[in-house]
Amino acid sequence: MAKKVVKLTFTGEAIKKPLTFRMAKKFDVMPNIRRAKVTDQIGEIVLELDGKEENLEKGIKFLVKSGVIVEPIVGDIVE
Amino acid sequence: MSYVKGLRCRECGREYPNGILFVCEYCFGSLEIAYDYAKIRKVLSRETIEARPKNMWRYKELLPLDRDPTDGFNTGFTPFIRADNLAKILGVKELYIKDDSVNHPTLSFKDRVVAVAFSKAKEFGFNTIACASTGNLANSVSAQAAIAGLRAFIFIPADLEQGKVVASSIYNPVVVKVEGNYDEVNRLCSEIASKYKWAFVNINIRPYYAEGSKTYAFEIAEQFGWRAPKHIISPAAGGSLVTKIKKGLQEFYDLGLIDEFDTRLYVAQGQGCSPIVTAIQEDSEIIKPVKPKTIAKSLAIGNPADGYYAYDVVKKSGGWAEAASDKEIVEAIKLLAESEGIFTETAGGVTVAAAIKLIKQKRIPKDESIVICVTGNGLKTQEVVMDKLHKPLKIKPNLSSFEEEQKKVPTADHYSI
Repeated sequence: MAKKVVKLTFTGEAIKKPLTFRMAKKFDVMPNIRRAKVTDQIGEIVLELDGKEENLEKGIKFLVKSGVIVEPIVGDIVE
Repeated sequence: MSYVKGLRCRECGREYPNGILFVCEYCFGSLEIAYDYAKIRKVLSRETIEARPKNMWRYKELLPLDRDPTDGFNTGFTPFIRADNLAKILGVKELYIKDDSVNHPTLSFKDRVVAVAFSKAKEFGFNTIACASTGNLANSVSAQAAIAGLRAFIFIPADLEQGKVVASSIYNPVVVKVEGNYDEVNRLCSEIASKYKWAFVNINIRPYYAEGSKTYAFEIAEQFGWRAPKHIISPAAGGSLVTKIKKGLQEFYDLGLIDEFDTRLYVAQGQGCSPIVTAIQEDSEIIKPVKPKTIAKSLAIGNPADGYYAYDVVKKSGGWAEAASDKEIVEAIKLLAESEGIFTETAGGVTVAAAIKLIKQKRIPKDESIVICVTGNGLKTQEVVMDKLHKPLKIKPNLSSFEEEQKKVPTADHYSI
């Protein structure tokens, strides 16, 4: 089992869909919500994901493909 | 003697002892340094500071070290220039440039944060320093590692132009070209930082490193006669600098080192990478990451780690934000050079261009004190202005040829906004 901490940003259509739930169910990934902010325009959620390494990768790919912006929690590092 | 109480989460306020930790274990919020101000108040005065050498450590009680500093003794106390020529062109009364384009040793404000990072890394017992950078940060880590005799690893994307690597390679760090895109370099460095016992200046010792930026604000206040200016225009990449300018001035005010603090803070970014500007202008607490496309490479951070905090301090100060197009950046670089003799890199072009816009929009009044932050040197980004300058006169080696060509030279170029 592996863990990953990610920040998801939902905009536009993505904000209306239960994408985190679908990702969790489809790829057997356990999301643990640590922090979240939502407005009617944009949503941001900080998650700890728990699951098999390959499932985490697949789950993140699914989110990206669904229009979610997935970033490492520390933000961009290359300065 | 240490004046640090520990680390505090900027989101949930949880406190941690001093250590190599950069996000809160509960909410993954970023951490910052908490100080014992009551203790600092007893030892720090204007007189104590003024009696010390003119470098960034004259404010050492407000920096996060437990022991005396070991690096950066020639860093900081850069010129604070009254820019009357530029003020006249912009039609404002009182304009200043805080000029870190001549900071030591590598001509950018990053020398400040890196000096703190190095001193702290040594306290923690690290002997290898690392960073992921395509520019100023890499230059500074490389040079200061050479001075300190530490091993340095610099991670860069493999397709980065050779010219940009030279200013780091000259100091002989280990430069690692990562065969991957920008996101992959980020991800890899994050993994390396969690596995190797190295001090990654902008990852695992980031809370300490970032505090070095406050010295930029301390110097502005001291050089302005122990006062806080009314308006400060700061560049934003990750968003940290403007928050530290705020924190620095607030600390000076709380400690009684300045009598008033009513500064409006403004953030400037390149138009092709302006997630913080967008958030401020649209009044969104959530920063939407973007893919950067701007000539201001030193500010090209699409997912700014301190974006929300930058938004927050700007809003609370009553300030605003502006983005500059590539063309406006180049024009501003030229304007600053021609009016004040300061050759800044693109980030300085961004702040000057944003200042022009903010003055035009009347968001900054013309009769109050304004400080424009210049954080890097133009010699590092010559390519952006190279084709935009007057061509040299080409003449035969005789007087008549010179006089013939000289007639074609216009008497003066006049700028107006």
